[in-house]
Amino acid sequence: MSVKTELEFTINGRPVNIEVPVDMTVLNLLRDMLDLKGTKYACGEGECGACTIEVDGMTINSCLMMAVDLQGREVMTIEGLSKGNALHPMQKSFVDHGAVQCGFCMPGMIIQANYLVKKNPDLTREEMKRGLEGNVCRCTGYTKVLDAVAAVVGLRG
Amino acid sequence: MSEIERYIAPTELAEAVEVLGHGGVTIVAGGTDLTPQINEGRRSYDATLMNIQRVRELKNISLENGEIRIGCLVTVSQIRYSDIIAEHAAILCETANCFASDQIRNAATIGGNVCNASPAGDMIIPLLVLGVSVELASWKDGAMQIRREPLNKFFTGPGKTIRHENELLIAVVFDQPSDNFVGQFRKSGPRPALEISTVTVGIGGDVRDGKFENVRVAFGAVGPTPMRGTVTEAALEGKTLNEDTIQAAVLAAGQDASPIDDIRATTWYRNHLIGVFTEELLNNVCQN
Amino acid sequence: MSEQVAFQHIEKTSLIGKRIKKPDAPAKATGKTRYINDMVLPQMLYGKILHAGRAHAEIISIDTSEAEKLAGVHLVVTAQDTPELRLGFVKDNAPLKNKIRCERDEVAAVAAESEAIAAAALKLIRVDYKDLPGVYTIEESQREGAPVIQERFPDNKSLKFEFKAGDLAQAEADSDIILDDTFNVHYVTHCCMGTSCAIADFDHNGKLTIYSQTQYPYNYKMDLAPALGIDPGDIRVIQPPTGGSFGAKLDVYPFEPVAAILAQKTGRPVKILFDREEEFINSPTRQPASMHLRTGCTKDGILTFRAADVEMDNGAYTSWGATVPVIMMRTTSGHYRVPVVDFKGQAYYTNNSYAGSFRGYGNVQMTYATAQHMDMLAEKLDMDPIEFRLKNAQKSGEYTPQKSYLRECALAECLTTAAEASDYVAKLGKYTDDRKAQGRYKRGIGLASSIHNAGGAKIHKSDGCGTILKMDDYARVTVITGASEIGQGIDAVIGQIVSEELGVPVEHVTLVNNDSDLGPWDVGVHASRTTFIAGNGARRAAIKAKKQILAAASKQANVTAEELDLRGGFVVQDKDGAVVTKLDKMLRQMHFQPEPDVVMVSDYYEPNSEPEGRDHISDHSAAYSHAVHIAEVVVDTLTGEVKVEKVTMAQDVGRVINRMGLEAQMEGGMAFGLGFALSEEMLFEEGRLQNPNFRDYKVPTAPEMPEIEMHFIESDCEEGPYGAKGIAELPTIVVAPAIANAVYNATGIRFFNPPMTPEKVARAIWEKKNA
Repeated sequence: MSVKTELEFTINGRPVNIEVPVDMTVLNLLRDMLDLKGTKYACGEGECGACTIEVDGMTINSCLMMAVDLQGREVMTIEGLSKGNALHPMQKSFVDHGAVQCGFCMPGMIIQANYLVKKNPDLTREEMKRGLEGNVCRCTGYTKVLDAVAAVVGLRG
Repeated sequence: MSEIERYIAPTELAEAVEVLGHGGVTIVAGGTDLTPQINEGRRSYDATLMNIQRVRELKNISLENGEIRIGCLVTVSQIRYSDIIAEHAAILCETANCFASDQIRNAATIGGNVCNASPAGDMIIPLLVLGVSVELASWKDGAMQIRREPLNKFFTGPGKTIRHENELLIAVVFDQPSDNFVGQFRKSGPRPALEISTVTVGIGGDVRDGKFENVRVAFGAVGPTPMRGTVTEAALEGKTLNEDTIQAAVLAAGQDASPIDDIRATTWYRNHLIGVFTEELLNNVCQN
Repeated sequence: MSEQVAFQHIEKTSLIGKRIKKPDAPAKATGKTRYINDMVLPQMLYGKILHAGRAHAEIISIDTSEAEKLAGVHLVVTAQDTPELRLGFVKDNAPLKNKIRCERDEVAAVAAESEAIAAAALKLIRVDYKDLPGVYTIEESQREGAPVIQERFPDNKSLKFEFKAGDLAQAEADSDIILDDTFNVHYVTHCCMGTSCAIADFDHNGKLTIYSQTQYPYNYKMDLAPALGIDPGDIRVIQPPTGGSFGAKLDVYPFEPVAAILAQKTGRPVKILFDREEEFINSPTRQPASMHLRTGCTKDGILTFRAADVEMDNGAYTSWGATVPVIMMRTTSGHYRVPVVDFKGQAYYTNNSYAGSFRGYGNVQMTYATAQHMDMLAEKLDMDPIEFRLKNAQKSGEYTPQKSYLRECALAECLTTAAEASDYVAKLGKYTDDRKAQGRYKRGIGLASSIHNAGGAKIHKSDGCGTILKMDDYARVTVITGASEIGQGIDAVIGQIVSEELGVPVEHVTLVNNDSDLGPWDVGVHASRTTFIAGNGARRAAIKAKKQILAAASKQANVTAEELDLRGGFVVQDKDGAVVTKLDKMLRQMHFQPEPDVVMVSDYYEPNSEPEGRDHISDHSAAYSHAVHIAEVVVDTLTGEVKVEKVTMAQDVGRVINRMGLEAQMEGGMAFGLGFALSEEMLFEEGRLQNPNFRDYKVPTAPEMPEIEMHFIESDCEEGPYGAKGIAELPTIVVAPAIANAVYNATGIRFFNPPMTPEKVARAIWEKKNA
């Protein structure tokens, strides 16, 4: 077993204090130690975006990031986007526009979409496509996903 | 199976460099190359894992006394949105925009991309075009020593560089390009960014009185390392960019590159794209 | 309250054709949904399989002793430890192998306390192989003295299919033009975002509960049981939410019985979950094929015959993949009026990976050929391409030579609608002229069409679906259906249909399914059948419930049941919507009367179709549908990059049920065809996959998606629910040849061997220019 280290960080607004093996990825920490299974494994090499989360306001592939790097940082996963049972506007838009089929890629897709809109409230459709390039979906063909994001941008505009 | 015996996360550069001096250290920064390499068994951990992400001074982009300095922990996203880079070295922003995906750009560091020394490492191409040097820090006689090496001498093979095990690549530095500098980057598609490049080409130089000077040309994924195209540079240096010069450069580019067949492309296609991209970029330079 | 409603009138409204949200979407969007990949059972062990990683070999010895000693390892099994039990379409496969016939072959399996320990244990297993000469192409498989792959099939021949109609020699003699081309379609794979997973758990009575991603839970029991030597009745199949299927889960694969064997022997639940590389290497592919197609027509543009000789690389084991000629021949003999047909299909064993079912099932392959031949004929005839197709387009009431009955056929309408919407004919002419002009970027437009079963496909003796429907005292409806929800949206459609019939809000309908102990029998999610078959079943069950309620209400209101209706949660007068009583009150009255009754009905819907026989002459689907796609592309003639800018679709959907779900199926289905056409390809070297990752196996991403314009033609299918037809496969089938025809329009080059990768296109253009 690899050596462990103690980490302190916040996740979805709550402080976490946990000892982790130093070779663990953030994805495995979330799924296996914190029971935050909304974040998905689908490729393990940053090519599909299913494991996308926000760290200090920036989206990253949690399958590539080492858990030790979370020390002192703020993490938001898909579980932190909704408040109680109320859907976040981005989540609601995905539901309303039929963007969810099997849904497996959706946690990563929604986190990334939300990040894009936060960063640029006047996002164009082309910019959305570029911003979602790292999120693979096999069900939707992306069209309804883009419709859902566009509707949120429209709401804000 | 290798096991990590020690984990260290220094906050001071000197400490990081000193730890490195003891040997047997795996450095982790953005993790975007390291993690898949470990998972696929292409690499294993050394006894010490050193996370350098907390060394704040390595995260800055600066312009001082005509020199631009990009700390090794600067992410590709930081480069993409940097005002300094946009103003003086836009080719880096353009390349950053064609790099992997948003999520990887947010994590991948410039130092990691350079040290990973992939023949297809996208960010390396504009750095070669800008004539950057790398700063390598090591611990000697109780103090930090820094040497500078030109990037075009840095790579020795796929994944191999002249960096010693006890050295940390702390920054890439380059002279602020002249106001006449024009730089162009092209990568094969069809996806805008999320592609391991089949061929990348970068061309830069000063356009003065219709002539192309201080020309640097770089090619990616066409040889064992990212490389400068010296024959192409010679074909362009001091020349007026016209149809003849461009065609001469296209021929020269074919001499510079020595691509191989792999699952991503055949030698034929790589050679073909080198010509196509060289011509395309030079036409773009003309239009600027 | 009751006085108020007594004066209320409720108009008749309809939900059919409206946009209905998927009921499970909120939980999926918030990360609450627990997929099978996320599941952890108490005491669960993690299984992992040692795959051969070589294509053809004898196993000399296996030493598992070191692996067994590793702390945390509970069990290591090999073929030596398991009885010789078989699985697969012709029972030529086994959970664990004595001999290696392909890279995927399962040599040993471990059950351990964590995935990491299981992985470490695999590395400690020592296997001594003797490699054998391999067979990696159809030609090699056919060769005299070729290595034999399956001892039971010494000539390396697997499944064979034939269909003939009419006099081929005469048809050839009557033809003014005969096209003769071979199309080679490549290996692609499903790439479900959720990797393959099974969790097996035996109880103390010997009953197996298997948590599975299967798309066909009821037949799955029958296919899984022989591999375990247990009775199918002793298997319960639970299908938790799954990350995509697309046909991939229509066979039993060895990892599933392996999980069960590990669970049986350890007495603990065992989960096997693939990582992405395992998924790429060990999952089914689309059936690759070499399709030699000949098409004849007269100088007046009347098709005379189609002759197709299809050779398939069966891989090492026979799966549902090698049965795709069943659909290929329907396209060969239909699609346009073809009086004379000669279809042959033969699969050959090789040491390559083996295929499976995949959205579009054979038709993606065949339409890639037939739709290009239609284009090529129109050009040879110098005939308006729409006119040519319309001349040959089948019409309502016609039969195909295989006796597919086209009761409602909207091919002509699909053709004219898509052509007009995209200005196809004018653009085709313009881009043909532009081809000769200078310029790096060339535009092209291409049209393709096809036919597909749209009312199930009776490949088993029954193609039916069972439904149980009950209503409680609060007018909430529970529908227990055999139909599985795997992301495609039958949950929304059944809710919508039941709501339509019973006049209750769609939110008041709860679907119970995906558990074989609860649901009645169903054939599974395949063949574009679920809305048609399960939708009909749910509707019929709801109508039965409605009759029961209205019969009770009619006694109370002293009117006939025919004069009543259910609307908006009330029993009303049908003619003016005058409220009679509240529905929940009515249900309680039925329940709490001297002769109590509750609403609880069942239905088994069997579509009006005939089983696919050995002669392949039967009306095997209750409906057929056509679609036309028109693709507009820009080709970079230097890099060879093909950018699809727009796809205009026209499809006979019978009737729109859930418009949002329908659009979503069109868009997602098209994306599969786009990847097949342009970028996706599994690259094998002597039977070993060279690109088992998303870096080098390129599924479409958001920037690659074209603009989509959809036209739904409503032919009002007599047999379908509210007139609907099955829809989900045609968008995958039709787009690739439309793109190929568009690339031809742009470049003058035919691509017989997809995918049209940048390199392939650039090379062909360069060679043509430098010829």
